[in-house]
Amino acid sequence: MVEKNTDTKNLNNNLKKLSEITEWFDNQGEIDVEEGLKKVKEAVALIKISKERLKAVENEFEEIKKDISAEETNK
Amino acid sequence: MEEKQKDEKIISVSNYIKILNQGLREFTGKIIGEVSEVKFGPSGHVYFSLKDEGDKSVISCIIWRYKYQLYGIELREGLKIIASGHPEIYAPTGRISFLAEVIEHAGEGELKKEYERLKKKLSEEGLFAEEKKRKIPAYIQRIGMITSLNGAVIADFSNNLGKFGFKVKMIDSRVEGQTAAAEILSSIRTFKKQNIEALVIMRGGGSLESMLAFNNELLVREVANFPVPVIVAIGHHKDVPLMALVADIAVSTPSIATTMLTESWKQASLLLERHERNIISKYSDFIFEKYKKIENGLKISLGNFKNALLNVRIGLGSSLDKSLAGFSSLLLRTSQQLTQAEKIIGLNDPERQLMLGYSITRCNNKIVRSIKNVKIGEGIDVQVSDGKINSQIINITK
Repeated sequence: MVEKNTDTKNLNNNLKKLSEITEWFDNQGEIDVEEGLKKVKEAVALIKISKERLKAVENEFEEIKKDISAEETNK
Repeated sequence: MEEKQKDEKIISVSNYIKILNQGLREFTGKIIGEVSEVKFGPSGHVYFSLKDEGDKSVISCIIWRYKYQLYGIELREGLKIIASGHPEIYAPTGRISFLAEVIEHAGEGELKKEYERLKKKLSEEGLFAEEKKRKIPAYIQRIGMITSLNGAVIADFSNNLGKFGFKVKMIDSRVEGQTAAAEILSSIRTFKKQNIEALVIMRGGGSLESMLAFNNELLVREVANFPVPVIVAIGHHKDVPLMALVADIAVSTPSIATTMLTESWKQASLLLERHERNIISKYSDFIFEKYKKIENGLKISLGNFKNALLNVRIGLGSSLDKSLAGFSSLLLRTSQQLTQAEKIIGLNDPERQLMLGYSITRCNNKIVRSIKNVKIGEGIDVQVSDGKINSQIINITK
């Protein structure tokens, strides 16, 4: 469960980081070539990981039992 | 024989009542009547009577606090209801009562009135307010689902969910009939304790009567207070179930419910591609610009250098040309002068004159140019081309 959590978070974070990088490029008048290259490298890695996550992954269905005592909580 | 023995067995009142109550369970039924003599006990349980509309027969009834709250029907004098349950002897008083498990309004008219009353009440409380609606977070995975696993609903849902690695926990619950409200309530409460990111409650369409559970006040409040966003997918004809009104997202079919869950995942691919294009193209544009700048700079510098070189070459050439021309003309002039000089010299060579027959006469080593330079009797040397002739002046004539 924890692993899945970070997995989901990663995509969210990755996209957030990517939009930050895009913004960075938008806001630079004169880009530092080295810094720009660093950002591009980071972006490429993020895109790769995210694309990996977006590949078809089968859904899992699990039936759980209702907790009957839950019904009684108000009694 | 056996029968006789049983009859003779002596048992306590308490045990007898227990046996009776076991037997009375067999008489589970659904009864319709008018409510009268409503009393609320300190424990919250409700005691009331149900009166037959025809011959005014009466049966006393009890509904436990929990069930009373669950069905959300305010029992009052004259209200026509249907109660489901079984009879039981209440040991402390020895009275027989009908133990109501489920109570519901009798008749579509009453149901409609109750629906409108509750809708107004909850709406006034702000439960349906737009600003209370939560959005489904992006890229969620863990989903709770409450529906009847027997229906077509679940297939419609899972077929449209795509392949995004969702972890769907399902609770099979009755969604209509007597026990639906209680089952859905315990399902919602079970999911409250589960680690999920959104809850989906689904059922197919139905009449207002079959929607009882979804118009249940307690259930509606549970949904309103659910810790994560709730999607309610209920097909309905006319009256929107109150649970749909209170849900963060209400849709009419399971497949539309799935789009709410998959939307962000589908968008993510596009978003990724857009970022990719943006970042890479911005950087390459920048590099290209930089390169162009450098190239232009180089071009200008090179051009300048070339020009400079050209200029130097031209300069050098012309001065060389100039020098050369000057030099050669100088040479020419010199050689002309030399030739001239040679000519003059040649022309004036005394020896050449001698060869021609001229001679040079000296007297006392001085060239004789006039008769005044000599006297008769003096000796003179006459130089010719190949020697000297010594002579003596005999006569001088003018």
